[in-house]
Amino acid sequence: MELNHPVLVSVKWQKEVFKAVEIDTSQPPYVFKCQLYDLTGVPPERQKIMVKGGLLKDDADWSTVGVKQGQKLMMMGTADEVVKAPEKGPVFMEDLPEEEQVVSLGHSAGLFNLGNTCYMNSTVQCLHSVPELKSALVKYSHSGRSNDLDQTSHMLTVATRDLFGELDKSVKPVAPMQFWMVLRKKYPQFGQLHNGVFMQQDAEECWTQLLYTLSQSLRSPGSSENVDAVKDLFGIELASRMHCQESGEESSETESVYSLKCHISHEVNHLHEGLKHGLKSELEKASPALGRSAIYLKESRINGLPRYLTIQFVRFFWKRESNQKAKILRKVDYPLELDVYDLCSDELRKQLEGPRQILRDEEGKKLGLKANEKSSGAKDNDVKMTDAEGSSNASGESSATTPQEGAPSDKETRLTGIYDLVAVLTHKGRSADSGHYVAWVKQESGKWIEFDDDNPIPQREEDIVKLSGGGDWHMAYICMYKARTV
Amino acid sequence: MADPKSGAGTSQTKPPPPKESKKKDEKKDEDLSEEDLALKQQLELYVERVQDPDPGLQKVALESMRQEIRSATSSMTSVPKPLKFLRPHYGTLKAFYETMPESDLKKYLADILSVLALTMSAEGERESLKYRLLGSEGDIGSWGHEYVRNLAGEIGQEYAKRQTVDAPIEDLMELVQQIVAFHMKHNAEPEAVDLLMEVEDLDLLVEHVDSTNFKRTCLYQTNAASILHSYIKFVKIKAELKVSTRYLPGPDDMLVLDIAYTIYLKFEEYANAMQIALLLDNMQHVRQVFTSCEDVLKKKQLCYILARHGITFQLDDEMGGDEEDREPLQEIINNSKLSESYLTLARDIEVMEPKSPEDIYKAHLLDGRASAGGSVDSARQNLAATFVNAFVNAGFGQDKLMTAPADASSGNTSGNWLFKNKEHGKTSAAASLGMILLWDVDSGLAQIDKYFHSNDNHVIAGALLGVGIVNCGVKNDCDPALALLSEYIGKEDSSIRIGAIMGLGIAYAGAQNEQIRSSLTPILNDAKAPLDVIAFTAISLGLIYVGSCNEEVAQAIIFALMDRSESELGEPLTRLLPLALGLLYLGKQESVEATAEVSKTFNEKIRKYCDITLLSCAYAGTGNVLKVQNLLGHCEAHLEKGETHQGPAVLGIAMVAMAEELGLEMSIRSLEHLLQYGEQNIRRAVPLALGLLCISNPKVNVMDTLSRLSHDTDSEVAMAAVISLGLIGAGTNNARIAGMLRNLSSYYYKDASLLFCVRIAQGLVHLGKGLLTLNPYHSDRCLLSPTALAGLVTMLFACLDMKAIILGKYHYVLYFLVLAMQPRMLMTVDENLKPLSVPVRVGQAVDVVGQAGRPKTITGFQTHSTPVLLAAGDRAELATEKYIPLSPILEGHVILKENPEYREEN
Repeated sequence: MELNHPVLVSVKWQKEVFKAVEIDTSQPPYVFKCQLYDLTGVPPERQKIMVKGGLLKDDADWSTVGVKQGQKLMMMGTADEVVKAPEKGPVFMEDLPEEEQVVSLGHSAGLFNLGNTCYMNSTVQCLHSVPELKSALVKYSHSGRSNDLDQTSHMLTVATRDLFGELDKSVKPVAPMQFWMVLRKKYPQFGQLHNGVFMQQDAEECWTQLLYTLSQSLRSPGSSENVDAVKDLFGIELASRMHCQESGEESSETESVYSLKCHISHEVNHLHEGLKHGLKSELEKASPALGRSAIYLKESRINGLPRYLTIQFVRFFWKRESNQKAKILRKVDYPLELDVYDLCSDELRKQLEGPRQILRDEEGKKLGLKANEKSSGAKDNDVKMTDAEGSSNASGESSATTPQEGAPSDKETRLTGIYDLVAVLTHKGRSADSGHYVAWVKQESGKWIEFDDDNPIPQREEDIVKLSGGGDWHMAYICMYKARTV
Repeated sequence: MADPKSGAGTSQTKPPPPKESKKKDEKKDEDLSEEDLALKQQLELYVERVQDPDPGLQKVALESMRQEIRSATSSMTSVPKPLKFLRPHYGTLKAFYETMPESDLKKYLADILSVLALTMSAEGERESLKYRLLGSEGDIGSWGHEYVRNLAGEIGQEYAKRQTVDAPIEDLMELVQQIVAFHMKHNAEPEAVDLLMEVEDLDLLVEHVDSTNFKRTCLYQTNAASILHSYIKFVKIKAELKVSTRYLPGPDDMLVLDIAYTIYLKFEEYANAMQIALLLDNMQHVRQVFTSCEDVLKKKQLCYILARHGITFQLDDEMGGDEEDREPLQEIINNSKLSESYLTLARDIEVMEPKSPEDIYKAHLLDGRASAGGSVDSARQNLAATFVNAFVNAGFGQDKLMTAPADASSGNTSGNWLFKNKEHGKTSAAASLGMILLWDVDSGLAQIDKYFHSNDNHVIAGALLGVGIVNCGVKNDCDPALALLSEYIGKEDSSIRIGAIMGLGIAYAGAQNEQIRSSLTPILNDAKAPLDVIAFTAISLGLIYVGSCNEEVAQAIIFALMDRSESELGEPLTRLLPLALGLLYLGKQESVEATAEVSKTFNEKIRKYCDITLLSCAYAGTGNVLKVQNLLGHCEAHLEKGETHQGPAVLGIAMVAMAEELGLEMSIRSLEHLLQYGEQNIRRAVPLALGLLCISNPKVNVMDTLSRLSHDTDSEVAMAAVISLGLIGAGTNNARIAGMLRNLSSYYYKDASLLFCVRIAQGLVHLGKGLLTLNPYHSDRCLLSPTALAGLVTMLFACLDMKAIILGKYHYVLYFLVLAMQPRMLMTVDENLKPLSVPVRVGQAVDVVGQAGRPKTITGFQTHSTPVLLAAGDRAELATEKYIPLSPILEGHVILKENPEYREEN
């Protein structure tokens, strides 16, 4: 029988060709596969042998397969390890619950515009970036409403708390319906309609009102001192001296404000100048000495600094002709790092010196270790001196502030008078009641996000200081600085 | 100036100036120079003498007159002087001619009248021709070019007239013979072709080429062929122009090309003949070229042309000689060595280093806006990275995700990346291995093998698809793809089935394989098969039988379409069925009509869609202006019932118009209009149409349009525009598009779907690290590879419903692009097919059709040494005389033969 004749074939495997492999056609193809196993090391069950458009089966009959003398066969198969799925599959962002997606997103959600509510959205976004305020609000839930608080303030505080919570949890933009309703209830002026739609409002007004409400509701009721968390965070103590040139009378007073005003006049090109300007004012009041009203010069100095310094650019003034709050487009630069030392009262300055020195040293160390090592001998004394000074100051400061603030958490950190920009609320347009408000907020990761209603857009830090006005682009209206502490 | 000598030679008796000349005439005469005046008087005398009753005197006068005219016709700047002076006497001579008795003299006069008619005859009278036919039939060229040209024009008119009244044309044809012979002899070949086309007798050309060839030297032979090539182009342009004014029926240009083919074959210009044969899509011709060609080396070149065209072709004894000779030839056709030459190119250009998706995204250039977060993998972005990795490292055999060496610190990294994809994403990931090892069947199969043993159905599906991709365009005697994949066609799991079926479609596109047909067609009519399996089966059959007009496959798809329920007809996947049907008739023009007729009986929901798709496919690559207008008409209608046929209509415009440059430019403009006035479903298709028109050819105006659309408020328009930016820049590494896409990636960083599209586009721009093209046109934009076009069209049709298909779970349709992927290289090889580096000039191609002399064919060239990359619109020519290329078009693989006449300088 010719079937018993061994058939010689060549087998191609990967880049190799095995010439003249003998097929014993009386044996099943499995035997042939075992032959190939010897040649290639591929176990028979992993071998795929291709014979003219089909695979060779282990139990096929060679006569039906019809191999010819010298035919070329192709074999596929490897002895490689079979790919196995890892025990623990990767977790994909798409599968995560929403809260966790936020973490990987790196910033919180946007807020839907409910009809000219960008002023509210941007205010909420700016305040939302203050973690201390958030935690104070969280605590509020436990304390509940105190008796001296009216119902609507309570509701607004709860709505704020819930909104902040929602912003932290969701990836998709949030619709602040509840908050918006309560805000209008509490402050009906925000519910003004014009042609059947809600009117655009002044964000500064919203900011002030909201903070006021929160300061009312967030007093810790348990404490007899009635500690005001908001005041602790944002309150600025001003000591003013009133001087009447005519009569030479002098009086002084202290007041607490939530923001510093940056007045914009022709001489003001920089925030600092504007602030100085804002701390000096002339006012007319009754002079007891003269028995009539006279011009008084009021000069204020900062006597107590907050952890979050709010600065409002006084960009809007009432323009009678057009019957609207017109805007000053003048460019006023503001820094990423603000030092208010020279606006402080002498007393406060003394308190600040110690921490400032520590801060300077720390920065010096970071910048040039070498320089420090070099002059280490000379430096030693200085350090000791400042240490001593610092400690004395610290005690002084704490004693000075404790009765005022009474916040125990404050003890470890001391203010330096140096502030870092953390949020900017900008306005684009020609009057406060029109145009568009946007919040630019620095995230914990150090990235800046522009919250344009429901659309958070990452921005570069160098673009943030470009919002200083001088054109029709967004310009800073309210800046919030965070204190650098040691 | 008239020749004074001839004037003096013929004037024996100088008559006095005629007295009857009027005052006005005298004045005019005064302006003339003395010589001219003499000539004028001389001619007037001849006119008088011609009318003399004495035949002897008549003869002398006629002879002299002829002499005058002949000696003057050579000046072309103005009407020759003798003709000018004879003009007033044309009427007189004509009248006298009528009175003359039949004689040689009368014929003589007819000759002269024929020449005079050149300037005198009224429009449409065709007197020149009339007298020519009555005349002595002497050498036609003796009266100069202008005369012949005029005559040729009149013949054309006369011919048309006689055709309408069915008059005999023999006398005309005789004249045509003379004129053609004259033109061919005097480098006026386009005119000859023109005339022959007008009298509808192009066959004559073959004869005349022969006679010219016979007389001319060997050197001329080669030149003649290149001139002939320009005839064909010229004829093509003619045909196109005619189409735009009056529809020239298909067979006409077929005939023209047929003649060209005959001529090339006669001159043994086999490479050119092969191109025409492929252009005609005539396998009989292809075979004939092989049987006529004796030279093995030339045959190899022919095989390279076939391989680039991407058709399946089996040589037999008659064509390829005995087995020993045939094998290397068949190997070339099978593209077995394509991977090798591609890697040679890559090594030469030094781009072997694998690139990771991050290298392509270049996120570091986007300060501050880089992808936020990043701590957690996003399945969608990983999928995008899979595709980017596959596209960028296509064919290189190594990458940083799938094939990274197993001995890396993290163990088997490829497994890791595979499992960084989710569910159906794993299919695309496993299949991407096929793309990375593209064309390298041996190592491809070895590397994919391990996935076959996975217990995850998605991975197996990907492995099957990967096998198909590896084998794309490469044929193998053992048919490994068929052997491996056919096992899985009938499996239970539909993702495995789709993987196997799609793999077969890609591996055997254009193969018309009976075995596959018989195993796939039953699926189409299987009531239990899910819709997606049916859709992919249809597409695969469409690809395998692309442009074949195969009745049985068409029937099966038609039945499958009729079986669909009302709700299924609304599914985006169902729309792939009409496309599959269309692919069967790709570029086949009228052949589609019977099927188009059947499609009219379909359910209303799909009828229009099917109709338009068939039309678009059938006329794809024809440049048929009427069809473009027809399709534009469909786009004008405002739809109310949510019909979907306008998308294919817009794509159809691009498919039809992509044939030639002029139509392409015009349709780009029409598409701009559609953008402005069209409805949303049209606007979504326009970017894709632009992408097809300028595939791998980043035209600046289109780039700008797409860039604008990529910010469109309609996200589907934006997605289509982004993908199309990738398509027009595919394989070009175009820095401008890359920059645009990078900015888009930060603009859309939040929109996962759009970001996915941006990533895909980024991968496409760097396709094969810039060594590949997706352009289905090759060989000097002359030939259209049907499989490449089919692959592109399938992907684009899938993009018409981006959300359901590409962004859904059928993202692997992107792999259909592999059908169009080809290295955009010029690789010169020696007689042993080993790479041979020679200097070549590469520059912008210049259209030289119909131009006189030997104009420069490229402009703004640079000299490189091969292998070299060719961009869209580039043409290469050898910068050395040392070698002779065996193909007139330097693209792809070109075999160089040493020039025996080359002498090294010094």
